[in-house]
Amino acid sequence: MRYAQLVMGPAGSGKSTYCATILNHCKDMGRSVYIINLDPAAEYFEYDVIADIRDLISLDDVTEDEELRLGPNGGLIFCLQHLVENLNWLEEKLGRCEDDYFIFDCPGQIELFTHLPVMRTLINQFESWDIRTCGVFLLDAHYMNETTKFFSGALVALSAMITLEIPHINLVTKMDLLNEEDKVAIQRFLDMDTDLLGEMTDEPWMRRHLKLSRAIAALFDDYNYVSFLPFDQTDEESINDILMTIDNSIQYGEDLEHKEIPDERDQEDERGAQGQDDD
Amino acid sequence: MDMIDELAGTIDEKCHVADRPDIPLVPSDDSSRKNAPTSTCLIVLGMAGSGKTTFVENLSKYLTANGAAPYIVNLDPAVRQVPYPVNIDIRDTVKYKAVMKKFGLGPNGGIMTSLNLFTTKFSGVLDLLEKRKFEVKHMIFDTPGQIEVFTWSASGSIITEALADSFPTVIVYVMDVSTSTSPITFMSNMLYACSILYKSKLPFIIALNKIDMVDPTLVMKWISDFEAFDVAVEKEESYAANLSRSLGLILDEFYGAIRTVPVSALTCQGFPKFVEAVEAATLEFNTEYKPEMDKMKADQRESRKLKSEDRFEKLKREVLEISTGPSSSRDDKSRAMDTSVSIGPQGDSNAKHEQRNFDAEESGMEETSFQRFLESAKKAKEIAKKPAA
Repeated sequence: MRYAQLVMGPAGSGKSTYCATILNHCKDMGRSVYIINLDPAAEYFEYDVIADIRDLISLDDVTEDEELRLGPNGGLIFCLQHLVENLNWLEEKLGRCEDDYFIFDCPGQIELFTHLPVMRTLINQFESWDIRTCGVFLLDAHYMNETTKFFSGALVALSAMITLEIPHINLVTKMDLLNEEDKVAIQRFLDMDTDLLGEMTDEPWMRRHLKLSRAIAALFDDYNYVSFLPFDQTDEESINDILMTIDNSIQYGEDLEHKEIPDERDQEDERGAQGQDDD
Repeated sequence: MDMIDELAGTIDEKCHVADRPDIPLVPSDDSSRKNAPTSTCLIVLGMAGSGKTTFVENLSKYLTANGAAPYIVNLDPAVRQVPYPVNIDIRDTVKYKAVMKKFGLGPNGGIMTSLNLFTTKFSGVLDLLEKRKFEVKHMIFDTPGQIEVFTWSASGSIITEALADSFPTVIVYVMDVSTSTSPITFMSNMLYACSILYKSKLPFIIALNKIDMVDPTLVMKWISDFEAFDVAVEKEESYAANLSRSLGLILDEFYGAIRTVPVSALTCQGFPKFVEAVEAATLEFNTEYKPEMDKMKADQRESRKLKSEDRFEKLKREVLEISTGPSSSRDDKSRAMDTSVSIGPQGDSNAKHEQRNFDAEESGMEETSFQRFLESAKKAKEIAKKPAA
């Protein structure tokens, strides 16, 4: 069994920073994780990747192709579609090592998650390669500092997640860059009793849309599908919490534990056999 | 300021409606102007391939044919051609490819930065719109192909709020009905639309597009009949089906809060109903939104102003960060990034302090407060550069 995180979110939400942070955090723990870049429009990242979609297909080539006549957005989608038509390329890059843990840095285009089958196809393929995937949806905290914005973020994450059908968590990123007032506001939303969330009528607009807001808040409560964790790249605890939550959702670590027991038994048997031989 | 001016020119207006003799206009000396209705701004959003631009093109033709040519603003810096008579075009002010090249950005960064640069000049757009607001009934804003660039960015929020502050503004979300092949993808798309509703907090119209290709009856049934939708979702074997009741409830409330009009951008089917929806949304804006906003403004004058100033400062800081970080040398970039990060907290509190003492019209405020910001940023840079004693 292998494991993967699918890191998604709008451009600027901090996907690459998140990947780098998890990579370094795991390194410090003695865990190896492997990063794969699936964003054809990625500009620069500071870590090594085991695979980069830009090696398979270049966005420049696609947008400059006179026959295709694609703009930057169409070009990006074309690259992803090309990837799913050439999955053996990815399979080779991923190798076959048991217990490998991958992090896929994905493009931000919401179309890829809502109605284009691209990401779905990828996830199905992962399943067939015995890779358990967790979706990690990132949202910049600066856009979540008011009730209506927070709801908006939750809805975006939800719209992406319901088509992917994998366990997922949502992260509110850049918490370390917020001013005090915003930090407090967001922590309130994260900690809040969801009944209160639906009752937040400080804004007239919320008052007019109370039933809708309550219906959304009920979802926070009932299903955890819109649960959020704060991501502060300077806070060890924050990173740990997130990693643990993700690992739990894909049962990483459980399989590893099971493995250790047979090893010990093997060693005991060997010792036993040796003992007998000596006699 | 130099960098921004270098890359973002002035706001120009082209082929103004008044120059077209075939279009009837309200005469400028009409004394009834005082209470005359002003234009409604339509911000047209939609995912790539939804048919947004075709929609704007043919809506423009339709409105013109019916005696009310619209004013059109193109906000997509990367579009190759606009098929409609555009009045203000972001591409005249900002050259997307030059921005990409100058800062070594990829396409996403290029589009975002181009839009940011344009937004720093948005007061120029507002000035032009003010002049035309009695002359045209509708002002249509075509947005970038990548929807997140507008819906999930500071620029998008600033533009939306600046417009809503001055004109009745309505969000038009163009949705490709042919992509709603399954109730799950339909739900996903609708939830995304709902997220935009919460973001914008404005009257909302969904234009269910491409009905010339796909019969919208089933989708309209899903919208109007909660039970029918529920049945359709439960047939799907997915975990979303477990959520279907809860999600269905959300969507049911959502539909009640918005208007949905099946259209064909290609054939203009549904356009008369669409225009009616716009009229109803405008009325909603004037009777519900405007009084609320005015009251909020009065109640929270100070903090609201600070909030919008903060966002503007952040936007300009973002533009400045990118402009002070040339991609040529890694050292330069990291140095520049360090500098810009240190500008953040220090410059922020300095700028905020100055802002509190600064009382001006919001439209003129942007230019002057930006100058002040630049001054404080320059000071902070100089301090940072000085070797430690």
